[in-house]
Amino acid sequence: MAARQPRFNQQVLIDTTPLPDSIPKVPEIGASSAPLLSASYFIGARCKAYGDDYMLCKTESNGKGETECLREGRKVTRCAASVLDDINKSCLEQFRAHWECLDNNNQQLWQCRRWERPLNKCVFDNLKLEKTIPGAPENEIPVHLRKRQIFAHSIATQ
Amino acid sequence: MGVPFEAFIPYAIMLGMFGFSGAALSKLRAMQNGGKRARHSVDTWDRQMMDRDRRLTGFLRGQTDNVRAPAGFELSNPWRIERAFI
Repeated sequence: MAARQPRFNQQVLIDTTPLPDSIPKVPEIGASSAPLLSASYFIGARCKAYGDDYMLCKTESNGKGETECLREGRKVTRCAASVLDDINKSCLEQFRAHWECLDNNNQQLWQCRRWERPLNKCVFDNLKLEKTIPGAPENEIPVHLRKRQIFAHSIATQ
Repeated sequence: MGVPFEAFIPYAIMLGMFGFSGAALSKLRAMQNGGKRARHSVDTWDRQMMDRDRRLTGFLRGQTDNVRAPAGFELSNPWRIERAFI
C-alpha cells in the first residue's frame, strides 16, 4: 500500500490485471450498503467463526494482511454469500422493506424497527439465525428489542 | 365579539411561504438523491460504501441485493494517483 493517502490526486488508475490462477476465484458479494447493513447481524450470527479468524489474521499480520489473509477472506465471502442467498430465497419481501427504509433514513437502524421485527421473526423461523448485539450489557434489554426508540423521528416507524 | 381574522392573514402568508420553500427544497433534494431523502453526517465509512454502491449499480444512491457482484467488479476499484512532489 502507499505510504499515505494521496491528497492531490488528479487521475485514477484502474488496473485490469486479474489475480493469478493460483488463487481460487470467489465471486464478490453483490449487495450494496443498505441490504448489507440489514443482513449484517445475520451474517455475524452464521459466520462468527470465519469473521473472528479473519480479524485475528489481520491483527497478527502487522500490515501485510492484504496478501496474507486472502484465505480467511475467501471463507468469509463464501459464508456471507450463503447467508444473503438464503435470505433472498426465504424472506425477500421483509428484507426489501427493511433495507428500503434504511436507505431512506441515512442507514440508521433505530428509525426502522417497525420493519426490522418481521424480518427478524422470518429469518429466525426459516434460517434459525438470531440477531444479537455483541458487547451489549447482559442486564438490560438490547436496543433492538425495546418498545420505545428514543432517537427515532416519528412514532410511526418504531 | 368575533375573532379578528384579518390580523392573522399576514401570519398565514408567512407560514405559507416558509412551507412552500421547505417543500420545494425537499423535493429538489429528493430529485437529486434518486427519490430518497438526502444522506447527512456522511463520514469516511459512508463515503466508501457509497462509492462501492456506485461501482455496483452506477448510481451513488443505487441499491441492489444480488448475491453476486457483476463481472469486473473486483477490478474496478481505482488507485488514486498523485504527482510526486520532490
